[in-house]
Amino acid sequence: MIISTSWLNEYVHPGVPMEEVVLRLVMAGLNHESTHSVGLDTAVELEVTSNRPDCLGHIGVAREVSVLFSTPFYIPQLHLTESNEPAVDSISIAIQSPEQCSFYSARVIRGVRVGTSPQWLLDRLATVGIASVNNIVDITNFVMLECGQPLHAFDLAKIDGGIFIRHAFPGEVFEAINHKSYLLENSMCVIADNSGPVALAGVMGGARTEIGSGTTDILLESARFDPLAVRTAARGLALSSPSSHRFERGPDPQSIDWASRRAASLILELAGGVLFRGAVTAGNLPADLPPVTFRPERILQVLGIEVPIERQTAILTSLGLVREFYAVDGGVDGAMRWRIPSWRRDLSREIDLIEEVGRIVGYDTIDENTSIPSKPVERSRRDTLIRRVDGVLVSAGFLEAMTTSVVSESLSRLESPWTDTESLRIAPALLRGADRLRRSLLPSLLVARATNEAAGQTHAELFEVARCFMSSPEPLPVEPLLVSMVCSGTFLRAKGILEAVLSHLGVLTKIVWRPFSSKLFIPGTAAELLIEGERVGVIGSIAKGVLTTCGLTEPTLGFELRLDLLEKPMDIDCPITRPSDFPSVQRDINLVVDERLAWSEIETVIRCEAGPHFESLCVRQVWRDAQRLGEGKKSILVGLVMRSRTGTLSSDEVRETIDRIVSCCVTRCGASLRA
Amino acid sequence: MSLERFVAELDSFYLDAGTSLASAGDAAAVEVARVEFLGARSGRLKGIQKTLGALGASDKPAAGKRFNEVKEAIAALLSNAQARLIADPSDPATDAIDISLPGIPLRIGRLHPITQTIRRVEEIMGRLGFESVDGPEVEDERHNFEALNIPPEHPARDPLDNFYVATASRGGPLLLRSQTSTVQIRVMECRKPPLRIVSIGRVYRPDTADATHYPMFHQVEGLMIEPGTTMAHLKSVLRYFASSFLGGDVRVRFRPSFFPFTEPSVEVDMEWGGRWIEMGGAGMVDPAVLTAVGYDPNEVSGFAFGLGVERIAARRWGVADIRDFYRNDIRFLEQF
Repeated sequence: MIISTSWLNEYVHPGVPMEEVVLRLVMAGLNHESTHSVGLDTAVELEVTSNRPDCLGHIGVAREVSVLFSTPFYIPQLHLTESNEPAVDSISIAIQSPEQCSFYSARVIRGVRVGTSPQWLLDRLATVGIASVNNIVDITNFVMLECGQPLHAFDLAKIDGGIFIRHAFPGEVFEAINHKSYLLENSMCVIADNSGPVALAGVMGGARTEIGSGTTDILLESARFDPLAVRTAARGLALSSPSSHRFERGPDPQSIDWASRRAASLILELAGGVLFRGAVTAGNLPADLPPVTFRPERILQVLGIEVPIERQTAILTSLGLVREFYAVDGGVDGAMRWRIPSWRRDLSREIDLIEEVGRIVGYDTIDENTSIPSKPVERSRRDTLIRRVDGVLVSAGFLEAMTTSVVSESLSRLESPWTDTESLRIAPALLRGADRLRRSLLPSLLVARATNEAAGQTHAELFEVARCFMSSPEPLPVEPLLVSMVCSGTFLRAKGILEAVLSHLGVLTKIVWRPFSSKLFIPGTAAELLIEGERVGVIGSIAKGVLTTCGLTEPTLGFELRLDLLEKPMDIDCPITRPSDFPSVQRDINLVVDERLAWSEIETVIRCEAGPHFESLCVRQVWRDAQRLGEGKKSILVGLVMRSRTGTLSSDEVRETIDRIVSCCVTRCGASLRA
Repeated sequence: MSLERFVAELDSFYLDAGTSLASAGDAAAVEVARVEFLGARSGRLKGIQKTLGALGASDKPAAGKRFNEVKEAIAALLSNAQARLIADPSDPATDAIDISLPGIPLRIGRLHPITQTIRRVEEIMGRLGFESVDGPEVEDERHNFEALNIPPEHPARDPLDNFYVATASRGGPLLLRSQTSTVQIRVMECRKPPLRIVSIGRVYRPDTADATHYPMFHQVEGLMIEPGTTMAHLKSVLRYFASSFLGGDVRVRFRPSFFPFTEPSVEVDMEWGGRWIEMGGAGMVDPAVLTAVGYDPNEVSGFAFGLGVERIAARRWGVADIRDFYRNDIRFLEQF
């Protein structure tokens, strides 16, 4: 809402510079957007929240100024001269869609001279940035900007028969005064005559009945349209106007008649003509709002500030509320009843009145050093889990990425380790071409890696913690929390990082690793991770085709873990083991085994059979040599650490442990020992 | 004495001293050079310093500045020469290391700036007894609108202003949440007051991506519901938050505003670098919201506030384009 300073001064004189007025308005809820000079006048743009349609006119803003500066304000008095001829003989009005238009009124003025507006009117409109059209149209705009009620003037001679307010017919075409044609939908409301629409209700008038230089007779519309109907039409046709902006917020119903009479009197004054008697109306104005019960002590209880009752009463009165005195005013509980003015339909409850008192007194009076009692806060299991996961990955040198939850269709089609169901589609698209809720984070991370590669930074090592989305028979989709990672190097490097994560969550020993085949990964280079038979993670070398889809050339490894499924098994509060005080003994053994035998089988056997002095083991080297080892064989160099908790191991105890390990590897794994 | 002559003398001193120190082959030679040039009693620099007094008053500042520059430069050259002699012992068997070579780079991982900001917010709010809570990103209309006192005809519910799920669902229309207040509703539905929670997460609104907008962003929503809670508690909590987050004694300002789920509603400004910066919205929880989740507005009251994480993070680090947060360029991410 752009305010003209000199226009505002017609209604109120706060006696301070405009900057001070603006500052007070800002602190009372009208945000200041800009101030600039237009000729001798100053235009001040204020942001009006959607609950305050009363401030979409100069009078409403003047009322706020008058309240804030405790100074009177003036509303123009109207003196209309009407002819004896009743307007109702000139036009008939029928509301056929009362849900879209609850009240419609029209005045008839005949014999006007359409022409240029006087300078004062041109100046007013210039300041607020409204282009002048002719005196009649300028007056309707002026009155709208004065009181917030939009008006429309039709060329009465061009109206074919009576006026109907109805739903648009599907496919009906309407040519607006901007001389563009619009295809209407049934949900929109039109003002029509026998030949079709003459206005899109509350949005814009039509070209067929617009006021032109040849116009002599005028039908002046002032009505109340349903906010939703107006918004649907304005948004659906991308045709927002100052009028639709106001109707969407609901102007003061009492201003419908005032605006009509105000415009009529200005037309008679500036364009001549004869005003026919009365207004032709259809429908009903909304009932007055019921009075609101207000307990003065609630001010302190809600706002935390003391405001004397006299001041509360003075503020509400100055805002136009009227205190209702009934039998035992004040009653036992001291409550008051206040009647609400028609222009403040946003005030329907006690809390609304409390806010009014608060914003006029000023929120700067609220104390900012009130303490609240302390309260212990526990970190959720999920937050603990996430912090442990990202802690490991950050320690390993990874950068956390943040990618959007919505991806393109081609990315969404890449296989998800978590679901076979289609990805959910959203409308509109989040970003160009991105309208699918992702089912995995890996594709997004691969794209992020590709973006870096394209900028010359190969080897971007990234991770992300976020949700994916899976359609579900439940009312809401399932949103598993995932961590995903992409890196360079070998499978075992990626696995080492993954193991560190799992170990830090205390779940490593609960995991079963199984070869995994998926279009995501190069065949034979991927694993899935299971806990009690349920897949909780996948890891592998990303398949060529997937890299190509993501625009990446560099070989990449990746893993993805279901953090939601790890929340329960996470075991981080287990007691620690005191390290032994005695020295360790380290020995390597070189086992030759069948190529197909997995290391995990050897490890399991050793762990089970090694006896009390075994402490840990590792793989030092795996190698193959058909000539020296034989076809289909591999050699594994295993490092063993032995230690006792009760004393230094003797060489006999060491030998006994090694013998036992070798022997079980030979008998249980078909291994042979290589010297 | 003229300024030109003084400067010329300084320059010639600088040249001589530099040459002597660079060519000094042993500790004795360095010491001789030190005494000659920087000696406290009769070093050449001392001599030049004495002529400083003979300069005109207007030349003194420039001359003094130049004098100090030369003095510091020669002192640095002296300590370099001394270090060179220590690192270059006569025993040729020792493996000499060029300690000026760079170390092997250690790659340090980092949390995303948005995560860092969220953690900081959680930490501060945690000290005030606010517990972090979490909820779904795809929501139904009850939690995203109705329970938040946003009726069907409200402009915020326009399909063009939300990301609705196009795939049909059994439980009615679904959409990507447009605010994290949804989580507050979910928590209030299953817990009773007193309640102090903060919900932080991704929210989605159809904005064209530009330097200050992105259709996905993060929001912090705080909620406190306890008997006797007033706007003074709200203002004090936000002031505590602002002071902890920004450092120093930060003031908070409320401007009246309008949100469906709070009444009274305010815009919150914080004073940052001598200016009032808009930080977010806040207010007392609307009685209709309390009723919607089965609380009695006559028994409990509370406040809620919402802050944009990207906005805070962008200000904190001087990020001019918030799209950078989502480009995931490692040259950007490595700086946090």
